[in-house]
Parts: sequence; structure tokens; C-alpha cells
Amino acid sequence: MTPDPLDAMRLPVIPVEPRPEFAAILRRRLRGEPPPVRGRGATVRYFVADLDAAVAFYCEDLGFEEELRPAPSFAMLYHGDLRLLLSVPGAAHAMPDGTLPDPGGWNRIVIQVPDLAAAVDALRARGIRFRREIVASVGVRQALLEDPSGNLVELFEPLAGYHERSPAGQQ
Amino acid sequence: MTTVSVRYIVDNIDAAIDFYTTHLQFELQMRPNDLFAMLKHGDLRLVLVKSVGPDGPAGGGAPMPDGTMQEPGGWNRFSVEVPDLAAAVEALRGNGVRFRNEVVTGVGGRQVIIEDPSGNPVELFEPILLDARLSPSSGQPGR
Repeated sequence: MTPDPLDAMRLPVIPVEPRPEFAAILRRRLRGEPPPVRGRGATVRYFVADLDAAVAFYCEDLGFEEELRPAPSFAMLYHGDLRLLLSVPGAAHAMPDGTLPDPGGWNRIVIQVPDLAAAVDALRARGIRFRREIVASVGVRQALLEDPSGNLVELFEPLAGYHERSPAGQQ
Repeated sequence: MTTVSVRYIVDNIDAAIDFYTTHLQFELQMRPNDLFAMLKHGDLRLVLVKSVGPDGPAGGGAPMPDGTMQEPGGWNRFSVEVPDLAAAVEALRGNGVRFRNEVVTGVGGRQVIIEDPSGNPVELFEPILLDARLSPSSGQPGR
């Protein structure tokens, strides 16, 4: 078959990657239905002094994924079903008496790792600060590390005999 | 495994259990002693520990190597989504729950901070529909 001489002038056809999630959202919007409520997961907010340093720490050192960073003062990260909101304290967070939130404190997210000793070694090699080395507790070993702003993250490894309810049992 | 775990330090395990189960519909999963409890709310597992001194048992509530004891409080918190924040606030006020601030409206939703009996913050959040876009004049997105 003779090639069409005009082919040389045509733009290449670039296949469009289908995005079923986007299409589903668009169809719902066109039908005037409300967006689905995200029923899974849990949200935690941490205050940080330096957003870039915090995002780098959670994503590069702890395996979080960056979802949104719409402003220099806010980022949304995911780690499994944990949604971690990072906020740089600003006027929007001020209490009625003017008090601004700050990083730190003792309340913390708790992340399970398969091999705590290996995780601690790897993190220490990257210069991560530990507030407490590995200690044994009931059914687990745990360690406390600090993000660049001094917020705590607890890592734990289950020990033999650690009891975890099955996901089916939780429903 | 979809559970997300958060640990809060409290002064009194039973007061905390009562607060989270009565006011925020948490479900008690275990309370093996008066130093530890585990509660659940959707995919959130809340681990409560009482801070202990150097003579206390090893574990999550034990002091740091330099002797520093852990304390409740601070600003980092988990967030509980509610369908109607105004109604939730009214009900909680009626029950004598302490509030750190008044309801504020951000980009993604309305929120308010309450305190558990030990002074730990809990954020109540009512999402605004996705159509609530960043308005150019709002200045502080993503609060």
C-alpha cells in the first residue's frame, strides 16, 4: 500500500492513559451527586518548624508519600492508611488568646516495622535523632525518634506472643 | 492491616477511657492494668499510657534515659471527622468538655480543638464539599 504523503505533516497520535478514578468522579459530578466520603484511615496533625525538612524526613527516611503541598505552610502525606497533616504554625492556627501551636510534646504516631534493629541502624546512619533507644515492652520492642522539628515518632516491632486482632475480627 | 496507631500520654487511664468512649464514641479494646489501654475508632487505634517514673515498669510510658518523664499535652493530635460540627460542639459543651478554641473555618473544612481530661488535644473536623476551593484572598490555605 502506498504511504500517504501527507503522513509526514500529521502530528503523532499520543495515546491517553485512562484514569478510571477521575472518570468516575467526573460522572458523579455531572450527575450532581455528592463526592464519596473517604471511610478509611485516620488523620493526625503535626506542627513543624520547617515544612521542606519535615516532608523530606517523612518521605525519604520513613517511607511516607507526599499527597498535597498546596502552600508553604501545609502538606498532606500518607503512610498506609495514616494521613499525616504537617502544618507550620501561623496566624490561622492561633488560639483566641494569641497562643500559637508549636512542635514537640510526647503524643505520637506509632509505626510498625518488621525489624526494629535494622530500621534503627539505617535511620541512625542517616543522621536521625533518637530520643530513646530500643526498649522492650509488653509484647513489643520500641524506639522513639525525632523529626527535624522535634516531634516524636514511635517505631515498634512485635515480639513472639504479640497479640493482634485479625482485621476480620475488627469489623 | 489497616489500623493506624497513635499513642497519647494521660494522667489517669480510667478518666481517659471514659472521655473517649462517652464523648467521642471510641470502643474500648483492652485495659490490662491502670497504666495502659487500647481504644478504637474506625481505623484509628488509640493507645493510652500513663506516664511512670524510673521505678515504674518498662514500656511506652517509661521515662527517657536522662530521667525525663513523659507528659500529656502539646499540639500534635489526631483528628476525628464529624458530619455536623456545630451539633457536635453543642453536645460536647453540654457535657462539660473543654475547648481550646472556637470553631474555625479553613480551606478543607471547619474544625475545633477539644481537650481530654489530661489536656491532650483532639481535633474535630467537618469536611466542606470538594467544591470549597482555595480562594485567592484567604491567605492561609490548608490550616
